Amino acid sequence: MSDVFTRLASRAIAAGLGTLMLIACSSGGGGGTGGGASSTDVTVWTAWGGAELKAFQDVLKPFKDQTGINVHLTTNRDSTNQLANGIAAGTDLPDIAPGPTDPNLVKSWVSKGALKPMETALGDQFQAYIDNTYPALTTPPSGQQDNPYILVIGGKHYALMVKTQVKGLIWYNKKVFTGTAPTSFDQMLQINPSQYGAKSLFCAGFESGAASGWPASDQIDNIIMRQSGDQVYTNWIQGKQKFTSPEIKLGYQTFLQEVSDQNVYGGRNTALSTNFGKAGDPLFKNPAGCLFLEQATFITSFFQQDFPSLNLKAGTDFDFFAHPSVNSQYDGNINGFYDNFSMYNDTPAARKLLTYLSTKDAQQIWANDGGTLGAIKTLTYTDPVFKRAADIANSAKNLLVTAGDFMPADMQKAFWQSLLNVTKNPGSLDSELAHLDQVQKAAYTTS
Amino acid sequence: MSAEATRPRESAVGKGVSALDNLGYRLQRLPLHLVIIIFCAIWVVPTIGMIINSFRSLQDMGNAGWWTTLFPPHGFTLASYQAVLEIDGVPQSILSSILITIPATVIQLTIATMGAYAFAWMRFPGRNIFFIVIVALMVVPIQMTLIPVLQLFHLLGIQGTIVAVWLAHSGYGLPFEVFLLRNYLGGLPREIFESAEVDGAGHAVRFLRIAVPMTIPAIASLVIFVFLGIWNDLLVALTFLGTSQFRPFTVMIAQLVTSFGGGWQFLTAAAVLQMALPLAVFIFLQRYFVRGITSGSVKG
Amino acid sequence: MALDQIITAVVAVIGVPLVLLAYIIVGEQVIERLSDRLQTWIRPYFWALPAVGFATVFMLYPMARTVIFSLRNNDDNAWVGFANYNYFFTFPDTLTALRNSLLWLVFYTFFAVAFGLIAAILLDRVRYEALAKVAIFLPVPISAVAASIIWKFMFEYQPVGATQTGTLNALLGVAHHDPVAWLVDSTTNNAALIFVGIWTAVGFCMVIISASLKAISTEVLEAARIDGANEFQIVWLVVTPLLWPTITVVGTTMLINALKTFDIVYVMTNGAYDTDVIATRMFSQLQSNHIGRAAAVGVVLFIAIVPLMLVNIRRFQQQEEQR
Repeated sequence: MSDVFTRLASRAIAAGLGTLMLIACSSGGGGGTGGGASSTDVTVWTAWGGAELKAFQDVLKPFKDQTGINVHLTTNRDSTNQLANGIAAGTDLPDIAPGPTDPNLVKSWVSKGALKPMETALGDQFQAYIDNTYPALTTPPSGQQDNPYILVIGGKHYALMVKTQVKGLIWYNKKVFTGTAPTSFDQMLQINPSQYGAKSLFCAGFESGAASGWPASDQIDNIIMRQSGDQVYTNWIQGKQKFTSPEIKLGYQTFLQEVSDQNVYGGRNTALSTNFGKAGDPLFKNPAGCLFLEQATFITSFFQQDFPSLNLKAGTDFDFFAHPSVNSQYDGNINGFYDNFSMYNDTPAARKLLTYLSTKDAQQIWANDGGTLGAIKTLTYTDPVFKRAADIANSAKNLLVTAGDFMPADMQKAFWQSLLNVTKNPGSLDSELAHLDQVQKAAYTTS
Repeated sequence: MSAEATRPRESAVGKGVSALDNLGYRLQRLPLHLVIIIFCAIWVVPTIGMIINSFRSLQDMGNAGWWTTLFPPHGFTLASYQAVLEIDGVPQSILSSILITIPATVIQLTIATMGAYAFAWMRFPGRNIFFIVIVALMVVPIQMTLIPVLQLFHLLGIQGTIVAVWLAHSGYGLPFEVFLLRNYLGGLPREIFESAEVDGAGHAVRFLRIAVPMTIPAIASLVIFVFLGIWNDLLVALTFLGTSQFRPFTVMIAQLVTSFGGGWQFLTAAAVLQMALPLAVFIFLQRYFVRGITSGSVKG
Repeated sequence: MALDQIITAVVAVIGVPLVLLAYIIVGEQVIERLSDRLQTWIRPYFWALPAVGFATVFMLYPMARTVIFSLRNNDDNAWVGFANYNYFFTFPDTLTALRNSLLWLVFYTFFAVAFGLIAAILLDRVRYEALAKVAIFLPVPISAVAASIIWKFMFEYQPVGATQTGTLNALLGVAHHDPVAWLVDSTTNNAALIFVGIWTAVGFCMVIISASLKAISTEVLEAARIDGANEFQIVWLVVTPLLWPTITVVGTTMLINALKTFDIVYVMTNGAYDTDVIATRMFSQLQSNHIGRAAAVGVVLFIAIVPLMLVNIRRFQQQEEQR
C-alpha cells in the first residue's frame, strides 16, 4: 500500500512543483516596493482620517497636478512606534511622517540621523517659512538653541509645521448666552446659568477611549499657564516641577471648581462618561443643558455633525470667547498645538512636497476647508470663528504646548487618569498628587 | 442525534398514547430550549445593537437607543456603508486581506500538524522541554518580538513583502496550534496506527492517510480561528508591510475616523463588513463538526 | 501589481503544502533506510523541525533578547541587575494591575470555559444547533475596536432624568433604577470589562470543545443509557471526563489570554478608574521607551506560565498511558 502511495504521491508532487515553478518564473517575481531615491514618488504617513484626510487630499491635489509626483498616502495611527521599530531594525522608513512628541525620542532620532533638517529640505525657501509661520512654532525662547517640543535641536529644525489649533476657548450658544464675556476666571464662575435658561454653567466630556482624560488635561493646562506662568508650566512638563508643589496643587483645586457637581451638566458622572465630541451637545438642546464648553478650535465640526438639522453656523449660532484671565500677569500665555511633518528620507520628491506644504497657497486650502488654523500667520479665514482664533494665536506672547502630550507616555497616562480620579473623588486630591510625584520620579529617568 | 434515543417510539398501535408521550417529551425539553434561547439572546443582542446602529444617522444615535428603530419612524440610512465603500482602494484592500489570510492560514496549519504529530506520537529526549517552551511562548507580548524579526526580514530582503506577513503570522500562531493539535492527535487510538504499521505503512502514510483525516474537526476549528485572527489583525500588517502600498482592509478603515474620533459612526458599518467573511467561513465549516466522522474509532 | 500578489499567493497556497508533503515523503524514504536506532533518534527532530524552527525564530530568540533587555538600562549600555524587576514589583500601580489581572485570571477563564462547555453540550442536543452556534460565535470575529463601539452603546450613560441611550441603563430605567456609569464606577467597571472579555471568548471555547465532543463515539453514550444512566449523569460522569484533556487545553489557553489581556482594557478605559492590567502597564512603559521595565514584565509573565505548562504535560502523560 505504502509503495504505490508513495510513488503516486511523489509523481504528483513533482508535477505540481514543476508547474508552480513555471508560473512563478513567468510572472517575473513581483513584490518589492518600487521607490528608491525617488523624484517621482513619495510615501507619506499621517494620523489624519475622515474630514482631516479629505482636507489634506485637497491640499495635495494642486501639487500632484503641477509636479506629476505620486503621493502614496497611508493613514497610520501607530506611526511613532512603527518608526521606532524601523529605525532600530534598519528597515525602510516612509519619506515623510509626523515627528515624535517625546523629547527623548526627538534627540535620539536626530543623533541617529533618522530625522533630516528642514534647512536642507526647504533649501532657499527655508527663511520664508520661518518668517511666515507663527514664531512660537519655530523659534526657541530667546537665549536657547534647543526646543525639542518644536523639534529644534542644535539650532536646526527637524519638523515642518503645517496646522495649528488653539485650545482653551470657551464656546457658547449665541442664542442662549447673550451676556458679555467675563473678564476674569472668578467672574466666569459667578455667572448664574438659570439667568439664561440653562441648567448648569459648564458642559464637560472627558471620555475618549484609550486617551480618556485629555480634555480635562486641556482645562487644567489652561488654568496653570495663566495662573502660575510659563516658567512653572514648562518646568512641569519637563518633570522639574512637582505635582505636590503649591502651584500645581492650586491648579488642580481651581480645575475642580469647573467640574463640581454643581457647575457641570449632569454631575461628575456625566462629565466622566461622556465622549468629548458629544460633550457640547447640551449647548444646543432645548432647554439648554449648559452655558459653556471649554474646547479647542476643532470642536466646531462636532457641533455641526451632531445637529445637521439645526444647520449651525459659526458666528451666528455659536461663538467663543478667549479663556478668561486668571492672573493678569500671565495673560499672554495661550495653549495651542500643531500638526507637523518630518522628513525621514532625503529624496528630491520629498523635498518638493515639503516645500509645497510650507507655502501660503497650500495652507490656504486647509484654511478654506475649515476646522483648523494653518501655521502661516497671514492666511485669510472666512469663518468668523477661525478668524478670531487666528488673531488670538497672532497676539499670543507664548504659544504653549499641551502639557500631557509632551510628557513621557507613562507620566501622561498617570496625569490624565489623576484628573479623572479627582473629578470622581475630589477628596483624593492629596493622595493623587503624591502618587503623581512618584510616577514623575520614575518616568523621567532613562533606566 | 444522540438525543433521539430517549424519544418515545411511534407505532401504528397506540398513536393516541404516544401523542401524549410526545407532548410530555417536548415539555420535558422545554427548559433546555429556554436556557439555550435566553443564552443566545444575551449573546446576540449587543451585536444586533451595533448592526442596527450601522444603518442609522449620527444624530439619531445621540438621541435614542437602537431599539427605537423597531418602531416607526425607523430612520434607516445607508450613509455609513457608503462612506466605507467610498474610500479609495477599498475593494483592493479586501482582496489584499484575502491574499494575506489564506496562504498564512495554510502555511501555519500544515507546519503545526506535522509538528504536533511528532510531539504526540514520537518519543525523543527533550520532548517535554521543547513542548513546554514552545507553548509557554504564547505568553510573549508581541511588541517585544517586532524588532528582532524586522531585522531578520530585512536581512533576508523580504521586509515589506507579503511573504514577510505570512511568515510572521505563522510564527506567532504556531504555538497555540501545536498545543491544540497535539492534544487532539494524542487522543487518537493507538490500535489504528499499530495495525497500519503491521501492514507495512511508514510514518508518512500513517500521518497522511490516518492521522490527518481523523483530525479534521480540530483542523476545521483551527482554520476558523486562525483565519479570523489574521483577517482582523492590524499590528503585524502595519509592521511587516512597512512602506509597501499593499494594504489590507484593517489598515484602510483607519481612514474613516479623524484623529479626534470624528466619524466613528462609520466604523459600525466597517465592523459589520469586516465580520462578514470570518462568519461565512465559520458557517461553511460547520459541516465538519458532525458526529460520525470519527465515531467508532475513538475509544471511550 | 495585484496580479503579482495573486500569483504569489496561489503559489504559496499550493506550493507550501506540496513542499511539506515532499519533505515528509522523501524524508521518510531516506530515514527508513537508516538503522532502527538511528531512525527513532532522527525522525522526531525531522518532523518537528519546521514547527520548532519557526517558534525559535519568532518567539524563542526574541524571548531571549527580552530577558537580556530586562537586565539592562534603556540606552542599552549598562547592566542594571534586577532594578527593572524591582520597579515593577514595588510600584503601587502594579499592585492594582496585579489584582485586576488576578480577577481576569479567575473569572474570565472560569466563565469562558464553563459557558463554552455548557453551550457545546446543550447545543449538541437540539436540531437548531448550527443556528445557535452562529449566535454564540458572533462576538468572536469582532475586533477590539468594534467591540468597544458595541459596548459603548450598551454602557452609555446619560444624566439622571434624561433619556437613556445605552441599552443597560435603559433597562435599568424600566425598572425605575438610576443609571449606572458602568465603566467609571469602581464597583462595576472591572466586572463590566471582564464580561466583555467573556462575551468574546465563549464562542471560541465552545467551538474547540464541540469538536472534541463530536468525536466521542455514540456507542459509549448508548451503553451508558442502556445501563440506566439519566442525561445529567451521562454528562457529568461520562462526557465531561472524556472531554477533560480538551478542557485543559482550552482552559490553559484562556488563562494565557487572561494574562495577556490588553485590547479590551486599552480601548475602553486604558486602565482608568483602577482597571489597569499587567499588559496595559507594560504597554505604557514601552511607549515611554522604558524597554527594560517592559521586558521585565514579559519575563515575569513567562515564568508565571511555566507551572501551568507542567500541569498540561502531566495531563498528556496520563493520556498516553491510557491509550
